[in-house]
Amino acid sequence: MIEFEWNFGILVPYWGNFLRGAIVTIELSVIVIFASLLGGIVVGMARYSSNKWLNLPATVFVEIFRNTPVFVQIVWFFYAFPVLIGVQMEGFVAAILGVGLNMTAYTSEIYRAGIQSIHKGQWEAAKAVGMPYMRTMRRIILPQAIRRMIPAFANRIIEGAKATALASAIAVGELLHEGELLAQALYRPLEIYTVIAVLFFVLIYPLALWSYWLERRLRTDEKVTL
Amino acid sequence: MGYEWDFSVVFKNMDLLYLGFLGTLKIGFLSLGLAAALGLILALLRMSGRRWLSVSITVYIEFFRIMPVIALLFWVYYALPIATGLRIDAFTAAVLTLTVQSSAFFAEVYRAGIESIEKSQWEGGKSIGMTSAQLMRRIILPQAVRRMIPPFTERSFELMKGTTIAATIAYGDLLYSALVLSSQLYRPLEIISLVALFYLGMLTLASFFLRRLERRLDAAML
Repeated sequence: MIEFEWNFGILVPYWGNFLRGAIVTIELSVIVIFASLLGGIVVGMARYSSNKWLNLPATVFVEIFRNTPVFVQIVWFFYAFPVLIGVQMEGFVAAILGVGLNMTAYTSEIYRAGIQSIHKGQWEAAKAVGMPYMRTMRRIILPQAIRRMIPAFANRIIEGAKATALASAIAVGELLHEGELLAQALYRPLEIYTVIAVLFFVLIYPLALWSYWLERRLRTDEKVTL
Repeated sequence: MGYEWDFSVVFKNMDLLYLGFLGTLKIGFLSLGLAAALGLILALLRMSGRRWLSVSITVYIEFFRIMPVIALLFWVYYALPIATGLRIDAFTAAVLTLTVQSSAFFAEVYRAGIESIEKSQWEGGKSIGMTSAQLMRRIILPQAVRRMIPPFTERSFELMKGTTIAATIAYGDLLYSALVLSSQLYRPLEIISLVALFYLGMLTLASFFLRRLERRLDAAML
């Protein structure tokens, strides 16, 4: 049995690797979060619509991306998709497509449920004063619905940030992958993967704290509104 | 496009994929059972009233909620053997990781379910002289369990999807078999697409049956 000694000092000169990885993780997370927050509106409204040409494709999309593991999606975009379209796929892009579309499926459901939770009377009142559909959505429904959706979004954002770590398996240079490379080079997986875990915690915990703060803010605000 | 589809490679190698599927089921169900049990123990310990216990379990739950599963898996598979001197194979690492991570979520499900029961239920039972055990068994738990079922099934579903991380440490689950096959036969499109469709089919079916189970249990417990 090999005697081990914790030796974090050996990692100090490699702080740049960890930083590089953390930056890529943040890049991936920010991109997929914004893409899914925007894309979710489109898909969510399509799901909410009674027009079957919008509703059906949107439903199929959501079911596919929620009922398959996100890792399978990432792998598919990296290995299978390039064969389909004849274009080389970079790991970064494949990861964004996989995690992004997966998150969009979830955020679209959050939007849809939020929109549906708004009292029908709001729609009727808007119709009564002659507001067209889009304007009603934009000025009456969405502003009220989005407040209710915030806790679910905060949760999804945390899940999305965690999912970016899967990109390491397709050689994207995010935090976990940098750790892998370093571990292979230095033969000190114990210290390295411990530091990686701590760094992930440092990166993601603020998101959780922010979501708790948001939930508290919303709960006190609720006493003021209808 | 000129691409020649060839799905026969998948069917010729069904046995390998089938073994992968069994691997997925093994990890999935074993982790599910262990996590549900461990989560229950944690939830009970948390409610025992000792401050240091509830604080440390809260920290445990928070930690596993924040940590990406794959980062955890790498730590368990690569780092833990060094720290403890034990030899940990891929199967054990995957089950250990999924169990511990999901146990945190299940502990939360149990706690939220029980705490969602209004105080008046507790007070009512106490006022007619019920003991804590009787209260739990006859008033609180039947109602609480009903509320726990949707998040419990949701979490189990996520766990089954999570088994795919085992592929990263070369455990023969379904995804790993698909990747190995793709690299050997140079047909990633057909192989991975069909495996993805298979996951879709299985999980959609599971989701459908879980919804029905939820509704049945709900009706039965009314």
